[in-house]
Amino acid sequence: MASKNGIDRRDEDEVCPVCKSSRYLNPNMRFLINPECYHKMCESCVDRIFSSGPSSCPVAGCRKTLRKARFRAQTFEDIGVEREVDIRRRVMHILNRREEEFDSKRAYDDFLEQREEMIANLVHRTDVAKTEAQLQKYASVNIQSIRANQAIEEQEASSFAARMTQEQEEARLRRQAAREQLENERREMQAGREDMISRLAAGSSADAAAIAREGHKVLLKKSSARRSEEDRIRQKQAALRGSETKRGGSSLTTADTAGPSDGGLIKGLRRIKTPEPEKPYDPFMGYVPEKRDYYALQPSYPSTYLDRVKNDTRTAAGGYDLQEYYSRTLVEAFAGLGCFIGEEVAQREAATSGLGLKPAATTSAAMAAGDES
Amino acid sequence: MIEDDIYRTSSQFRLWSYTESSLSALREKTNIIASGRVRAALQRARSTQQSATPSATGTPQPGSDGETKKPTEKEIECLTPEEELVLVRYYCEKTLELGDTYKPPLPTMVRATAIQYLRRFYLTNSPMTYHPKSIMACALFLATKTDNYYMSLRQFADGIPGDTSTEDVISPEFLLMQGLRFTFDVRHPFRGLEGGVMELQAIAQGQGAPGPHLLHQTPQQLLQGIQSIAPGPFPTSSLSDRIARAHGATRETLKSAAQMTDAYFLYTPSQIWLSAFLLADRPLAEFYLDTKLGGPLTPTIDGSADPSDLQNPLYELRSKLHKVLTDCSALLQAYTTLSSDPNQMKDLKRIAKKLYHCQNPEKVNLAHKRDSAQPQAVSSQVTSESESERLAKKRKLEEKARGGASDIFGPELVMERTKQ
Repeated sequence: MASKNGIDRRDEDEVCPVCKSSRYLNPNMRFLINPECYHKMCESCVDRIFSSGPSSCPVAGCRKTLRKARFRAQTFEDIGVEREVDIRRRVMHILNRREEEFDSKRAYDDFLEQREEMIANLVHRTDVAKTEAQLQKYASVNIQSIRANQAIEEQEASSFAARMTQEQEEARLRRQAAREQLENERREMQAGREDMISRLAAGSSADAAAIAREGHKVLLKKSSARRSEEDRIRQKQAALRGSETKRGGSSLTTADTAGPSDGGLIKGLRRIKTPEPEKPYDPFMGYVPEKRDYYALQPSYPSTYLDRVKNDTRTAAGGYDLQEYYSRTLVEAFAGLGCFIGEEVAQREAATSGLGLKPAATTSAAMAAGDES
Repeated sequence: MIEDDIYRTSSQFRLWSYTESSLSALREKTNIIASGRVRAALQRARSTQQSATPSATGTPQPGSDGETKKPTEKEIECLTPEEELVLVRYYCEKTLELGDTYKPPLPTMVRATAIQYLRRFYLTNSPMTYHPKSIMACALFLATKTDNYYMSLRQFADGIPGDTSTEDVISPEFLLMQGLRFTFDVRHPFRGLEGGVMELQAIAQGQGAPGPHLLHQTPQQLLQGIQSIAPGPFPTSSLSDRIARAHGATRETLKSAAQMTDAYFLYTPSQIWLSAFLLADRPLAEFYLDTKLGGPLTPTIDGSADPSDLQNPLYELRSKLHKVLTDCSALLQAYTTLSSDPNQMKDLKRIAKKLYHCQNPEKVNLAHKRDSAQPQAVSSQVTSESESERLAKKRKLEEKARGGASDIFGPELVMERTKQ
């Protein structure tokens, strides 16, 4: 499996175990493996044997049925590592619970340990059937939460990649800006010096010291201005970065998804409350417009006084509805029948005075009495 | 109960409902504040008079000045809260009479509203500060407006006996509204009574509908029930006649006793009309309550109630209501008109005389001060002091209110600039 000299995989005398052709004769030879049995064979063998559909592994003693589509290039030199990585990937794909889904750190750690144990079982071929059965069961029960977590992982990965490229771009821009600045600085310095020299050449000797001092001062001023400018830009960029990372972070915390509890495999999962389906909007907050507790409104009531109105087309023409009158009088007949002012107002006053407020009535009394006199 | 929640949202419940103790405490407080102000005002008036007189008499006498002041201070005897209440009640009765002078007479609802305005106003103001006579007409006029009974101001002023100008009527209006805390809604028991009588008539004609909590009752059962109740206080030919009679009697009680007592402050309109109805025809009213709240209340002594009653959720309400209605009807029954009782009239005359001496002199002429009620107006010297005091108080209150809630637009810009 592992080549002798370790590093160089394009071993000169590497030989395909199936067709026995060596790399020496065919320098473009590629070796492929199939994760079913991890037997190595060259590309031409794969083409030859598996082009016409699935077939059994040509390695003696191995009866695994292989498909061409599953063949791929080897990533690790050690086939054992290759296999373990494959298994690990598959298990982690299924057991992809996230830390925020657990009650405590301890529960999450237990989960990690359990996962490692299962991986180890599969790698070392102990209790393979049982572990596989567990995995299958878990996968079928938790298909939704697995999908959701996968989606989150993908999103995380893509946002991480995006952030990396953004940071690289920023760094590039910064470098470019710094380079330009350096160039500008140099040019300015040059120009200042030339200017000073030309002035020195033109002016009298007495002015020389003054001109030199002035030129120096100008340079200093420029550099200090530039420095403060740089500071400002740097601060701005830092602030920008901070806000962006914050935004990125917040977008990732929408991890909580509703899902059924696992199939008894994982302990300590946080109970995820499925948010109740939103009820239809109730503008009156439970108040039913026609519902009454003390009376049932009837379509008409006998009254000699109202009968006249009822039969008069003039009132109806004006839009007057006797039903309105009925409901209003009856509401007023009972509105407040069960309000016991003695109790309720006393409670109200106790509540307001308990809060350290003066009862509204006495405050306003003082106000009114005070204001008007 | 939904209807109760409807009532709880009203300003009458929120702002104008009191327990008996809080009501009397409030009146007492108002009286104390007002008395203090009256004393101060009278003293101010006297000292300005005295400072004006010495130039006429010639030599100012500082010693004797102090001596004369002491006894006059003792003379100022202010009204007690009880006396104030009697006075207000008298003017409430006057309001009823005033409504009758118009042609056609003002509706009961308007008069009742005006009376409640007066009563509410004098919870936080004293008759010593504002004489009820000047407020009364204004309250009635305000009630015509809030109760949709249109009258022009001129028409209204002409209807008042004596020479009352439109200015006299309208001048305390803003003051009155302020005293009412700008809540003009008064819930009267009159319309509720109509509703109740309407239902009783329906029951009497076999068309009654059971209450939502007592759906087992049929119209026939209700009819049998109303036919089998004990006879009323007056012999009547038919059931509807009896209801009509009780209706009339209740209406009278509501027009007078309910208005002149503190019933509106202490009870809800629904409780008031039912109490009045109890006074008019007790068996009928009890029957009506039973149809609403189920089962006759077993007259047991101190709470040893029927177990079947205890299971009824309405039982507690019913028993509580029984007590409240009894109290309320006792209050209504105890009322007698002032003018019918010579003793009370004599007492009233004494109070009126007393009030004449302790009337706040700075508040007598409201018509002239109407402009000064507006904060921006610069008024005469007499009011300017109180005006500035009022403004200062208002400003302080505003600042306090602003201090509690943080300003949504942040602090002032100028402040920020100086800080930087």
